[in-house]
Amino acid sequence: MFSTIFKQELKYWFKRPAFYIYLGIFIFLAFFFSATSAGIWDSITVTTGSSRIVNSPIGVNNLFSGLTTFIFFLFPSIIGVSIYRDYKSEMHTILYSYPFTKANYLFAKFLSSLTIVTIIVLAISFGMFIGFRFPGTNSDIVGAFIIISYLKAYLVFILPNVLLFGAIVFAVVTFSRNIAAGFITVIVLLFVQGVVASVLSEPDQRGLLAILDPFGGGAVQYYTKYWTMSEQNEMQIPIKEMIIYNRLLWTGIAVLIFGLVFKFFTFSQNAISFSFRKKSGERLTKSNLSGITKINLPKVTYDYSFLQNLKTTWRISNVDFKYIFKSWPFISIVLVGVILIIVGLFTVGNIFGTETLPVTYKMLNGGGVFVISINICTFLYAGMLVQRAKIARANHLVDATPVPNWVLLVSKLIALLKMQLVLLAVIMISGIIFQTYKGYYDFEIGHYLYELYVLDFLNYLVWALLAIYIQTLIGNPYLGLFALLIIAIGMPLLSFVGIEQSIFKYNEGPGYRYSDMNGYGFSIGPYLWYKVYWILLGIVLLIKAGLLWVRGIPFSFKERLSIASSRCKGLSVIGLTVFFLSFLALGYTIYTKNNPKGERLSSKEREKLRVEWEKKYKKYEKYLQPRIVSVKTDVAIYPKERTYTASGNFVMVNKTNTPIDSIFLNHNSLESTFEFSKPNKLILEDTIHNFDIYQFENKIMPGDTLELSVTLESDKNTMFRQNSPIKENGTFINSGMFPSLGYSSQGELRDNKTRKKYDLPPNDLQPHPSDSTALGNTYISKDSDWIDFEATVSTSKDQIAIAPGYLQKEWTEGDRRYFHYKMDSKILNFYAFNSARYEVKKEMWNGISLEIYYHKPHTYNLDRMMKGLKASLAYNAENFSPYQHRQARILEFPRTDGTFAQSFANTIPFSEGFGFIADVDDTNDDGVDYPFAVTAHEVAHQWWAHQVIGADVLGATMLSESLSEYVALKVLEHQHGKEKMRTFLKEALDGYLQQRTFETKREKPLMYNDGQGYIRYEKGSLVLYALSDYIGEEKLNGALKRYVEKVAFQEPPYTTSIEMVDFIREVTPDSLQYVIKDMFETITLYKNRVKEVTSTELENGKYQVDIEFEVSKYKNDEKGKKFYGDKVGDTLTYKNDKMNKPILSVKLQDYIDIGIFTEEEVDGKKKEIPLYLKKHKITSIYNKVSIIVDKKPTEVGVDPYNKLIDTNSEDNRRKL
Amino acid sequence: MKLVIQNLTKTYKNGVKAIDNLSIEIGTGMFGLLGPNGAGKSSLMRTIATLQSPDSGLITFGDINVLEDNMSLRKVLGYLPQSFGVYPKMSAEDLLDYFATLKGISNKSERQAIVKEVLEITNLYDVRRKHVAGYSGGMKQRFGIAQLLLNNPKLIIVDEPTAGLDPAERHRFLNVLREVGTNCTVIFSTHIVEDVKELCNEMAILNGGKILKHTTPQEATKELEGKIWKKVINRDDLEENEAQFNILSSNYNQDNTLNIRVHSDVKPSDDFVSVTPQLDDVYFIALKQDEPVLI
Repeated sequence: MFSTIFKQELKYWFKRPAFYIYLGIFIFLAFFFSATSAGIWDSITVTTGSSRIVNSPIGVNNLFSGLTTFIFFLFPSIIGVSIYRDYKSEMHTILYSYPFTKANYLFAKFLSSLTIVTIIVLAISFGMFIGFRFPGTNSDIVGAFIIISYLKAYLVFILPNVLLFGAIVFAVVTFSRNIAAGFITVIVLLFVQGVVASVLSEPDQRGLLAILDPFGGGAVQYYTKYWTMSEQNEMQIPIKEMIIYNRLLWTGIAVLIFGLVFKFFTFSQNAISFSFRKKSGERLTKSNLSGITKINLPKVTYDYSFLQNLKTTWRISNVDFKYIFKSWPFISIVLVGVILIIVGLFTVGNIFGTETLPVTYKMLNGGGVFVISINICTFLYAGMLVQRAKIARANHLVDATPVPNWVLLVSKLIALLKMQLVLLAVIMISGIIFQTYKGYYDFEIGHYLYELYVLDFLNYLVWALLAIYIQTLIGNPYLGLFALLIIAIGMPLLSFVGIEQSIFKYNEGPGYRYSDMNGYGFSIGPYLWYKVYWILLGIVLLIKAGLLWVRGIPFSFKERLSIASSRCKGLSVIGLTVFFLSFLALGYTIYTKNNPKGERLSSKEREKLRVEWEKKYKKYEKYLQPRIVSVKTDVAIYPKERTYTASGNFVMVNKTNTPIDSIFLNHNSLESTFEFSKPNKLILEDTIHNFDIYQFENKIMPGDTLELSVTLESDKNTMFRQNSPIKENGTFINSGMFPSLGYSSQGELRDNKTRKKYDLPPNDLQPHPSDSTALGNTYISKDSDWIDFEATVSTSKDQIAIAPGYLQKEWTEGDRRYFHYKMDSKILNFYAFNSARYEVKKEMWNGISLEIYYHKPHTYNLDRMMKGLKASLAYNAENFSPYQHRQARILEFPRTDGTFAQSFANTIPFSEGFGFIADVDDTNDDGVDYPFAVTAHEVAHQWWAHQVIGADVLGATMLSESLSEYVALKVLEHQHGKEKMRTFLKEALDGYLQQRTFETKREKPLMYNDGQGYIRYEKGSLVLYALSDYIGEEKLNGALKRYVEKVAFQEPPYTTSIEMVDFIREVTPDSLQYVIKDMFETITLYKNRVKEVTSTELENGKYQVDIEFEVSKYKNDEKGKKFYGDKVGDTLTYKNDKMNKPILSVKLQDYIDIGIFTEEEVDGKKKEIPLYLKKHKITSIYNKVSIIVDKKPTEVGVDPYNKLIDTNSEDNRRKL
Repeated sequence: MKLVIQNLTKTYKNGVKAIDNLSIEIGTGMFGLLGPNGAGKSSLMRTIATLQSPDSGLITFGDINVLEDNMSLRKVLGYLPQSFGVYPKMSAEDLLDYFATLKGISNKSERQAIVKEVLEITNLYDVRRKHVAGYSGGMKQRFGIAQLLLNNPKLIIVDEPTAGLDPAERHRFLNVLREVGTNCTVIFSTHIVEDVKELCNEMAILNGGKILKHTTPQEATKELEGKIWKKVINRDDLEENEAQFNILSSNYNQDNTLNIRVHSDVKPSDDFVSVTPQLDDVYFIALKQDEPVLI
């Protein structure tokens, strides 16, 4: 019997076109994604330059598993229906009386549908296999075909997942006899996975996540999260404990679920239904069996007018809306969505463990997770509504009524929109509840309503229009949903095939961005125009849906088309034409505004321009240019008009020993004039690269001075496009608007493989610090050293405008307010202009004027910032050198410009999203007071960048960013105590280890770094903090002080990381010289762990703690390949009987912290108290120590504070 | 008003000719459309009810060209399909209000009034708050009548409405239908001859998409007076009799003998007795005459 049913099922599927459609879709998707990742579109889009092997074991696993997730959406209609089909066709009434066993029936049904799914899964692997190898892919990033990668992905991850989800869907649909239920289950499960992943996002919860992630992705992450590029390219995913436990757990659950189905399934006629209200039984009898009734229908008026039809549309949309609102798939999606929102809100804006105040825009951001819910509801219920009459078999009743098609169609649309409005309210309510819970009562209801019901709603409306169209066209709600999901997910991916501009991608377009300071600012205009554009197309689709609307008995598609063309007359034609033409016209307008004079380029064209730039002008790189020594600017900011004009007077001196005949002016595309004080000839004007060459009649002799006057004008904004950076409130622009001298290597292509494609030589980008000829420029500017600076900035009357320097004069003229600033000492050629309606907080401190310019409501953290200013100024002045200015200013700018802070001379623009709305909890040891820490970092830049600036060679950013980060850490430590450092260091460690895995080019040691953020910030702070622990803060700062003395404000040649490290080396004892080598000169990682620990109470009441632990370290080359020493004999090995593989290590002469801790209650909170913390000299991998402590220990650790870079910091401690 | 159908033809994709060059005129009153399963009754009725378009032909109702201007017909149409479902979890009252809205009754109180009236006519008033999806077969059919009445239709099409109803329900249903159909055209399809006999003032027999006979029940039986003969035979003699006589129908008696009815202008043989013709005989004769003659 089993084989009969099994074969019958397969036969059924093999005959169905749907099966081949699914196969086709998945082969195509697999092919598309794999071929795209392998760079098949390189000829039309940007070159995929990377050292990542796309079909590495981990790459195959990710893509294969990811694509399989899409199949889950088909489960309800493949696995779910296998039994449901018998109910639907009412075959079950006959079938279930036949003599076969439950086991035969269930297994045959389940296994046959799994077979169908398996065939589709195999199709995916086939598509991937072809995709990676397809002619035209970039063979540099495709490795050899390794069948084991596919097998592992399939057997270990995909098969158990298919079993699990299959069993769940099978159970749900079998018992509920409702495909929608199965569908919702899949969505809910995917959501739950998302919730689990976001709740367990902290590094120390990864173990739990590894077990609980039903997909097994968390378990893979557990082992591979810190894999370097070379490891990702070469290593197979290890099938170790966590992965095995995870797979066993979920396979077990799958078996359990199927077991339950088996237990409870009966061959019965009725579905199991749940009802919360038990209805009391009622005996039904018939009465009034005879009787002739006189029919006398009341007189009513029938109204078939257009107006009445409109009313009807509205009224019947209510009926449909009620249907959605009461259906439990909707309710469950909303419930899960709300949980997701609330969970999300708890983590939104968390920086360094510190929360952000629940301001409205944060709540709206957090509501973003609900987008998926709204879209899925829209896609699904569009189908449910369009097909509602048909599903209920009431279509003949409805279709025979005198109601026009458009009324039915539009009523469905309106019901769908009402549903969206309700869902949007869910976001608002969740946000307000969360704000109330947090005690934040500044509810901006208007802001909620505007964003949700105007801005977001338009976006959902566009989707609703498409959904109605597709669902009408396809006629099967689940197939329609699947198609819509593919469309929605696929649209943004069109960029990969070279379709980059939003006007070609349905419902794409610029987003809006909000800041407290500037509201939605300029972003609103383009956003709305694009929405109008898409709504026009949506209406065209809606009219088409009306033409294709099925009225009467189902038609073949051909018949529908001929009916549609016969319906296409009168108003429909006019509507179609008008809306389609408006759509095209608006599209054309947007296109031309976006591409004025063909200026907007595809990324491919931009790539080619970069090549051309380098080929044409690189030869002038070494051409000597005068240096700018003084800048005087006049900048007029017009916040209302959102434009600016600027002029500048640049004084240049020929500091070289040779006469200079030409100046290379590298400028931007703004409307500008350039005028030199000496006679010259413009011999080259390149309007594409904006690069001009002026040849002087008389050479500029050594020591000679030359002036350049520049005027420029910002582009004007159009309705469709923002061209000027000026904001209505909160402008932040910088010196980049002015021209620079000479060739700039900024625009050069970085990836050597891509460069080779264009016949460019390999590029080292930056010279090595040992190259003494490369030290002529700082990494900030190539055309100047230190300059005199003066600026007049004007803005509207109600705003304050700021530039570096001291305010000389302030005056008002008409409705303009002017500020004249002048700097009294030399600064770098690097300055900015800010303007906003600022409130000011001022304080005099040790002769320094501390000022914070802030947005009025943002007063929350001003005191912390003030404290940060003082603490950092004090620390730097004390330890390194005096502060060069008499003033330090923080200027708030809108978060739409970014979440960062930046240090200019005596001026620190600081994002509103980065500290101003932090909600620091001083009692929480895990949260960092980051308004304080960030301020300290930026102030430190006044020394580390604005006094000591590195030459433009490798490692230069260590001198500015790493040292500023180090100072911030130290200032924080002195202010808040050592305990607060742990979160900071842990995040830095995790951040470094994670981000380096995305390195597709090369990772260099700290002192030779290419400028990657994760090296200069995360690694830099870890290394310098550890170093201060090893050699002592005083010694380290002493060395730095001498270094500052030598190099502060120096003229070229500029200092390098080598010089700084030499100063440190001098004060480092011989026994610790290895630290400098490990931390600065090489990439060194530890693998330390506690193996075994016992504690015994001694007779004298003390405790003896015996610790067995392992210490090993290894090095990485720039591709992330491990090695254990430079030559043979440098490597230690350790292996005992229980181990399969030996542990390897670079030779050890290392000092490592060994700590023993106890817990004590302080103020009702458990605090960790160190009983013992000392550095032990370690020379072998395996170690055993015995330590006696006074109190009962609770935890021991090797490098317990994670000062060293350790790829698994979790096993450094062991609880007793 | 008169419903006129001319040369109507509909062939389905699978090659079945559901309506075959059919022409008929139907006036006011109850019109019974009799035919076996698969005769094309539903196809014809759906076509008249604008739910399906024919390949060719013409249908007019009064001065409405049905195929061209189906919206005008829908305004005066009451249609009850052979089988239908309703939206789940909706009460009769709500559903009828919904249909009343669809049928163009704009005023809320008028809607309520007419809904109340049709509920009372169909004796559903007491269960008006119950979900229609939970109604018994008879109640659901009555609900079908109720929704059909909402636009005070001039043309009523009911497709096999009595199938599956218990006798009491059937009677009630037919009574209501009769009451409704006094002043308008009611087309009523069935394969139960009884229904037509009791109800219709005009009838047609349809098979294979063609009208075999268009008549009235009285006339039809009158035509056959003196031409229907009956005999009681043993079961084993049936084949012999079949070969000899034009047997219209045969049915068992309790003693395992058979009654056979034969159509013949003269007495077929001595053992036959003349009986009063019934509508069944008309039906069977019409179907028999349409059978292809095998040579």
